[in-house]
Amino acid sequence: MKFGTRWPPVPAGILIGISMLLAFVVAGRGIGASGAMTRFVAWVQHGLFPAATEQSAYFGKYFADGAHPLYDYVVFLVVGLIIGSFIAAWLSGELRVEVLRGARSSMAYRLALGLTGGVLAGFAARLARGCTSGQALVGGAELSLGAWVFMMCIFAGGWMAAWFVRKQWI
Amino acid sequence: MDMIAPLAKTGAISPEMNLWLAIPIGVVFGYALFHAGFTDGRRIAWAFYFKDVGVPVVMFSAIVTGMLGLWGLSLVGFLDITQVYLLPTFLLPMAIGGILFGLGMVIGGYCPGTAVAAVATGKIDALVFIVGFLLGSLIFGDLFPVWGDFYNSDYMGVVRLDQTLGIGLGAAVFAVVVIALVGSLAMRWVQQHFWPTTDTDPQQGAILKLQGGLIAAALVIGFALAFFPTESFIDDNPEPPHYIIPKTASSQ
Repeated sequence: MKFGTRWPPVPAGILIGISMLLAFVVAGRGIGASGAMTRFVAWVQHGLFPAATEQSAYFGKYFADGAHPLYDYVVFLVVGLIIGSFIAAWLSGELRVEVLRGARSSMAYRLALGLTGGVLAGFAARLARGCTSGQALVGGAELSLGAWVFMMCIFAGGWMAAWFVRKQWI
Repeated sequence: MDMIAPLAKTGAISPEMNLWLAIPIGVVFGYALFHAGFTDGRRIAWAFYFKDVGVPVVMFSAIVTGMLGLWGLSLVGFLDITQVYLLPTFLLPMAIGGILFGLGMVIGGYCPGTAVAAVATGKIDALVFIVGFLLGSLIFGDLFPVWGDFYNSDYMGVVRLDQTLGIGLGAAVFAVVVIALVGSLAMRWVQQHFWPTTDTDPQQGAILKLQGGLIAAALVIGFALAFFPTESFIDDNPEPPHYIIPKTASSQ
């Protein structure tokens, strides 16, 4: 059989699980995406305000002992993620610059909500010490109590707000 | 017994090599995210309307794969679980973080990994989401003293479901496989109930057979693990104090 662009969910999930397992076996840690984002903002802010960022209670640790915030496992992982997704889309002929939105959603509405959702998720990922991949998937596989609670709460939060933003999607 | 993995911890590969190997691992991750359909924010958001339950099914499949691999390889003595970074639990911050994260996902349509993958395929809405995500991370970090106490509260150490439930590790692994299967089927049922589809996939039979086979394999491995004596191989009291970030930077 041929899978095409969108694979059935089980094999797609298994391949994501294999990438996680590779990280466990090679590095002794999981995968993740939000950590690289945090390091990126720390790096940008450090370029503008070096002293304040190095003394920051949260960002300071990325600069301890002269470390470079981008010279880290999670950043290399995200570089690979970008390459992998680009290759897959390219081979499938799906590389397109576009804004994806629901049929009833205007461009401005979609982008405004995209930004708002991003701010919320960015804050939340820091509070929860990880995102869908680094906390929910990796912690889920590790049977971490906190990760499973995090995952349940993601769906609870999503369902809570779904009705209010339905015009964006359906 | 000398274990082989994790390669970076047993000295089989250098720290630099470990960093570079993160790139091909990320490639696999990104490649899979695209083919899961996760570079389209609509498909992710539709999970919250049961219009497309691919997201939870993919997540369950990924967790089961990683879990069976992690604990299975540990039990057979290939992977030294004590050298694997296990995530600590800060229960309340993670619960509140989860709810906020879910709000962000349904409002924004992505999570960070999927947004980065989507930007790599040209999606402008994902780029805007990432700008927001970076802003949110910046707000959290710069105003850290405001919520630092809460962030570090409710610390429980590395605590696993089997310890919480008072069951064996192998039994918990098997339970997660069953929950993933039942949960996926239930969500599929809800999707078909609210969003019935008339178009039939000519490959439907083959896909069913493939997925059924993979699920059966997971059930068999999980069932085998349920009967493995797991008490002896993991130290249940690892204490990772270095995960805790002080509320204010220590003065020089």
